[in-house]
Amino acid sequence: MSENYYEEEEFTTEFNGSTLYRILQQGLIHWPWMLAFLIGIGAVALLESYMTFLGKRIIDEGIIPRDFDALRSIAIEYALLLIIFAAFVWLFIFTAGTLGHRVQYDLRKQMFERIQQLELGYFDRTPTGWLMSRATSDASRVGDLVSWGFLDIAWTIMSVTTSLVFMFVISWRMTLIVLVMIPVLAWVSIKFKSRILREFRLVRKINSQITNAYAENISGVRVVKSLRREEKNLNQFGVLTDNMFTAGFRAAWLSALYLPIVILISMVTVAAIVWFSGFETQIGGITIGGIQAFIGYITFMLWPIQQMAIVYAQMQQAVASAERIFSLLDTEPQIIDAEDAYDPGTIRGDIVFDHIDFQYEEGKPVLEDFYLHVKQGETIAIVGPTGAGKSTIVNLLCRFYEPTNGTVRFNGVDYQEMSLYAIHSRIGMVLQTPHLFSGTVRENIRYGRLSASDDEVYEASRIAGAHQFILDLDDGYDTQVGEGGVLLSVGQKQLLSLARAILADPDIFIMDEATSSVDTLTEALVQQGMDVLMEGRTSFVIAHRLSTIKNADRILVIENGGVSEMGTHAELIRAQGHYYNLYTNQFRSQKEQEYLNEV
Amino acid sequence: MKNVDLKEITSENKVRGLWRMMRQYRGIYAVAIISIGLAAVSRAGIYYGLAYFVDDVLPDASQLRLLPWLVAGLILLASLQGAFTFISGRLAARTAESVTRNLRNYLYDHLQRLNFTYHDVNQTGELLQRATSDVDTVRRLFAEQLIGSGRILLLFLVNFIALLTINVRLAWITIIVIPVVIVISYYFFIKVGEVFESFQDQEAVISNRLQENLTGVRVVKAFARQQYEIDQFDTENWEKYVRGRRLTMMHSTYWPFTDVICGLQTVVSLYIGAQMVINGVITTGTFIAFSGLMVQIIWPIRNLGRLIADSSTGFVAFGRLQIIIRQMREPLDQGNHQPEGHIRGDIRFNNVDFAYDNGIPILYDISFTVKPGQTVAILGGTGSGKTTLMNLLPRFYEVKEGDIMLDGVDLNQIHRAYLRDQIGVVMQEPFLFSATIRENLVYGMKDEVSDEQVFEAARAAAVHDVIMEFPKGYETMVGERGVTLSGGQKQRVALARTLLRNPALLILDSATSAVDTETESHIREALNQMNTARTTFIIAHRITSVMHADLILVLDNGRIVQRGTHHDLISQPGIYQRTYQLQAQIEQELEDELASVDKRKVLVAGD
Repeated sequence: MSENYYEEEEFTTEFNGSTLYRILQQGLIHWPWMLAFLIGIGAVALLESYMTFLGKRIIDEGIIPRDFDALRSIAIEYALLLIIFAAFVWLFIFTAGTLGHRVQYDLRKQMFERIQQLELGYFDRTPTGWLMSRATSDASRVGDLVSWGFLDIAWTIMSVTTSLVFMFVISWRMTLIVLVMIPVLAWVSIKFKSRILREFRLVRKINSQITNAYAENISGVRVVKSLRREEKNLNQFGVLTDNMFTAGFRAAWLSALYLPIVILISMVTVAAIVWFSGFETQIGGITIGGIQAFIGYITFMLWPIQQMAIVYAQMQQAVASAERIFSLLDTEPQIIDAEDAYDPGTIRGDIVFDHIDFQYEEGKPVLEDFYLHVKQGETIAIVGPTGAGKSTIVNLLCRFYEPTNGTVRFNGVDYQEMSLYAIHSRIGMVLQTPHLFSGTVRENIRYGRLSASDDEVYEASRIAGAHQFILDLDDGYDTQVGEGGVLLSVGQKQLLSLARAILADPDIFIMDEATSSVDTLTEALVQQGMDVLMEGRTSFVIAHRLSTIKNADRILVIENGGVSEMGTHAELIRAQGHYYNLYTNQFRSQKEQEYLNEV
Repeated sequence: MKNVDLKEITSENKVRGLWRMMRQYRGIYAVAIISIGLAAVSRAGIYYGLAYFVDDVLPDASQLRLLPWLVAGLILLASLQGAFTFISGRLAARTAESVTRNLRNYLYDHLQRLNFTYHDVNQTGELLQRATSDVDTVRRLFAEQLIGSGRILLLFLVNFIALLTINVRLAWITIIVIPVVIVISYYFFIKVGEVFESFQDQEAVISNRLQENLTGVRVVKAFARQQYEIDQFDTENWEKYVRGRRLTMMHSTYWPFTDVICGLQTVVSLYIGAQMVINGVITTGTFIAFSGLMVQIIWPIRNLGRLIADSSTGFVAFGRLQIIIRQMREPLDQGNHQPEGHIRGDIRFNNVDFAYDNGIPILYDISFTVKPGQTVAILGGTGSGKTTLMNLLPRFYEVKEGDIMLDGVDLNQIHRAYLRDQIGVVMQEPFLFSATIRENLVYGMKDEVSDEQVFEAARAAAVHDVIMEFPKGYETMVGERGVTLSGGQKQRVALARTLLRNPALLILDSATSAVDTETESHIREALNQMNTARTTFIIAHRITSVMHADLILVLDNGRIVQRGTHHDLISQPGIYQRTYQLQAQIEQELEDELASVDKRKVLVAGD
């Protein structure tokens, strides 16, 4: 059923050099760590190669000449080196890992700061999930590249180089055989691993389809049962799991095929070494210990070279992730302070929507030459059907969006000359589904003014009518509200956000009334709180309740994005237009809810 | 695709459960494990070959003619090792993937066959977690941990035996540290698992912070709290870095520490082995073979602890799946009565009581009779038991006391699947699948459906014109990746979906609550025309929706408090009359209200 709707993000296959360079720069900010990790990995590669060489010396200098003293001293040297080796292993794992976490931290911090600067329109265009995965999986992929990816590259280069140097010292002619093996092995590895990776991507894709199928089947289980869809569902799901079996099995056996091939390649090399050494020993070209060491080096070089193929794949993914992260970081906020933006100290006074043109999308104008003069202290109700664009006026007023032409004037001053902070910090807003942050009740109210004392918090919630219910909560003001405030009712959340707005003591008050009904008592409290806030303040209310609509000084009716009617309640009723219909419908449904619940 | 019944894997003993789950694959899994052993034997053979080369071929120039045979032998042994490794990998993968497929299919089917009660108390997210990540953890048990542990144990066994043939004393000396390494690595991986979990928890904290910031972006901006948010985020972000560093610290301690232990063991063994060569106990070639075999024993052991620790999470995940599978399915083919053709729709409730599992009674002493083709309306407030009453008919829930007769047969005697095929239920909260509108409409159909049939159902539900207005018409996607339908539109699509099945008994549970009055009356007319023989139940709270019914039942707190036709009830004092009056009152108030505006106009004019 749901096969088509969950597409995995594809990765770019080409390397983007400049992106890679930019990733490297992120690491280089912490260059002491990077340096330490390069020293660590270099020392490890060198010591590892040398310890294999010590194995040769045990045979050639200890066993063959039957020299107990030499044997003992080599063994002691080996043991001591082992401890130094361990110290360097500690150094490189610790520095590389820490560096990776640090780069993740840096990227996340930069992204979060950028997200705070971006204008509201950006969030209307960009799905939350997209931003979430930038800051989580993409950031950790880049972090992993900086730590383990770069580490593997450094390790491969250094250990292959040092091994080759030691091999050259032992026998340069036989080293040539090994030099033939390396490119073959590398080629086979890259071919294989990219194939296997492709299979694993397919597995992941099918896996998310399976997850989706489960999710729909579980949440729609009541429909499934009443439509008796069980068998057909299972058959469709069976197709998915069959695909999964095929892809998963293929990915697994391809992986299982890779290792034997590597084993075989290395053994052919070892056999070649054995073959030639048969002749070489006759002319004294190589010792028994030398042969042993060669076998050791060949086996030992297999891992870094194999690892390269994995790194290559990882790097592709990480570069793609980094591209997405950098594209976020490079997004310039569209609404920013002008250079000489200032804070007028207050935005009280008349508000003029001065001949505004506005559009969300190119070619679809929402407002054209919209003019509205709101006197200080007036209450404007905005009404209209769901999805008609009632928040547009509010978005423009708050400068969440800026008009394409014309401007908004506070006290006659063009608001684009003011700083965003000056405007935002003086607007109090209560949303339809009030957004609370996880934390305590107290913290949420204090969000309105961070410097407020406890007493001021209590005072604000008293005015909002929230004090009593808060005290009735288990931990009073220290009660956790849960993620998004899930532990509170909608009415309680509204009261809290009213208190939050009261604490902020704004010049302009904006309220988006809830459509869902709350109990009568809470409703009355919310009404009271609103009245306090609207007292003497210019207010804009996206209104659903009859009393709010009727009591407003003026009503804006929004249809299909634009303002279709404007006037007082009585004027608009008489006009018998959209407002008349809206109002009568609203009247019926609100009264139905009020009365029928009592029955 | 064959579906395997996994009921039997719910054994109390988890090992037995896993053993049963791989019933058909035991043979190939055994071959997989034997192959690992054979690969290890081949590998050991290579070391013997090298020993032979050093001791017997190298020192004697006359033996060099054997060299080609030796080289060929080495490559042959490597090929064997490779082949066995591949066989074991492939067979293990086959087992793991097959077992997982069976498990996925069984679980999927199982979940959709558990009853409403089960789904009422279990959260979707929780079940989804079980079905995806727990299943994958169990898959890894077969694909990685069991075979991986087997590999390490067999490597140990084969190579140790090989060492024993070389020299018994040396062999025992070589494995001294092994128990130590196993114990250390086991505890390390348990501990690192905990630290990793706390690291992951912090990742979740960060995600939540960001999520809240993004969903609350208006609040953040409206209060100009960007800097505050940045500081808050930074605290959590830094905490994650600190936990990440702690995790790194554990790894960066474990690996070199075990490096030293395993490395010292290697040095000691090499030293003692070398002394034996010098003392003439073993040959140089044997020494070379010994040093190769020893590596195969010591180093893999470091991973055994990880496999054991991971297996324990695998067992825990399996246990959680067992709990789900132990739940009894709804027996869809239970009941003998399964007549040819449709039911007539003669329904009789006799003193029915119902309570949920928690014991709180919902319905008391419900009795009523419905003749075929009648329309019954049920009116009542929130929590009066309307929906529960209707859920008894398709047997989504079971009657506690009393009985329900359908066409004169006790509901419990009727084949459950047959019963559900006869009844169409449209629920208040419509659930549409993320697919095209057409796919959603034909969702309940067993056979192919013509476009004309689909259109007809959509027309009856008054949604055809709406759909045709979308650019892609019936091929429009619903949900996240497509159009967002309004509540009323969704309800109508759900209604059309059920109408397409042309059920003999139709239950509309507030199915048009979000549809406006005018459209609702169109739908009602269409329904009346469609099938006159159909028995229909309507749950509603508007008088206009119920007044045309042949029988109206008024429910209050789980009891039928009034019954009759609109005509009967309107003249009886009671809930029905009050509801009716209130609705009339609303209209009156509205009229007064609108008139008052005009009056004010007169006053203003009079000034």
